[in-house]
Amino acid sequence: MGDIILVTRPKYDDGTEYLSYYASLILKEAEDLGIPAKDFEGKEANKESITKFIEKRNPRLVFINGHGDENSLYGHDDKIIFSSDNMLLLKDRIVYARACNAGTKFGKEVVKNNNGCFIGYKYPFQFWIDEKWSAKPSNDNTAKLYLEPSNEIVSSILNGRSSSYADERSKKKMLENMKKILKLEENKEPGAMGMLQVLWNNFDGQVLHGDALARL
Amino acid sequence: MSEENKEDKLKELVLARIDIMPSNLKLSIGGFGTFTKQELSEHVRKGDEAGKQIVQMQVNFIKALTSGKLIEALNQNG
Repeated sequence: MGDIILVTRPKYDDGTEYLSYYASLILKEAEDLGIPAKDFEGKEANKESITKFIEKRNPRLVFINGHGDENSLYGHDDKIIFSSDNMLLLKDRIVYARACNAGTKFGKEVVKNNNGCFIGYKYPFQFWIDEKWSAKPSNDNTAKLYLEPSNEIVSSILNGRSSSYADERSKKKMLENMKKILKLEENKEPGAMGMLQVLWNNFDGQVLHGDALARL
Repeated sequence: MSEENKEDKLKELVLARIDIMPSNLKLSIGGFGTFTKQELSEHVRKGDEAGKQIVQMQVNFIKALTSGKLIEALNQNG
């Protein structure tokens, strides 16, 4: 299997803009580590281009950013890129889907009878955005509380760690951020509990299916 | 208390929680979209799919609080 990684970064609404920015940090990290990466940004995040690439280059790690549901993962403009029709493309790979709900059914099916691994969410992946910074996600310290821990998953795998380590590391970061939010609550900052419950949603919803020892 | 009353009480609780969120924050809920606090409240009141999702998240959180699951997770993390 090839050592190249595949990253999808559709960009067509507030949510995908933020996911795309945080995925760009992973692309930078891969570059720094000398790991080749193929970036499917914006309209490039479509089923045809991604299928061709997987068949040709056989990436070990597939990092999906975008919307999802129990049965599918989406690319640009809400167009399906993976569903039951083509899930065999993900066989034997390490897949992280930063997308809603695909951890319930789709992720389980992807790793059935093969050595792959799927990390995703059984609930909608959610985060608060500070409207002040919605045009510049890098400055948004509120969204960072939710998105930085999710980046830990791919970062850990790029650094040679196992999928279970990556999952646990990300959850540890979420708990650290929950403690930061609880400090806000102690200081009577409004909305702290609302912020906490969203991070809990992602923590409780994050699931790993398949080979827990999978690594690059 | 009837199921309908329970649902109404739960909605009230969720709306109260949304009401104290700072106005500059918006919630991104995947494919449902990104919502201001006013929009979140409207969805909860209407009881549409996005609204149901917001209420369900609150239910899960309350369960985690009352069962001790949240505290246990935080304590395990040192």
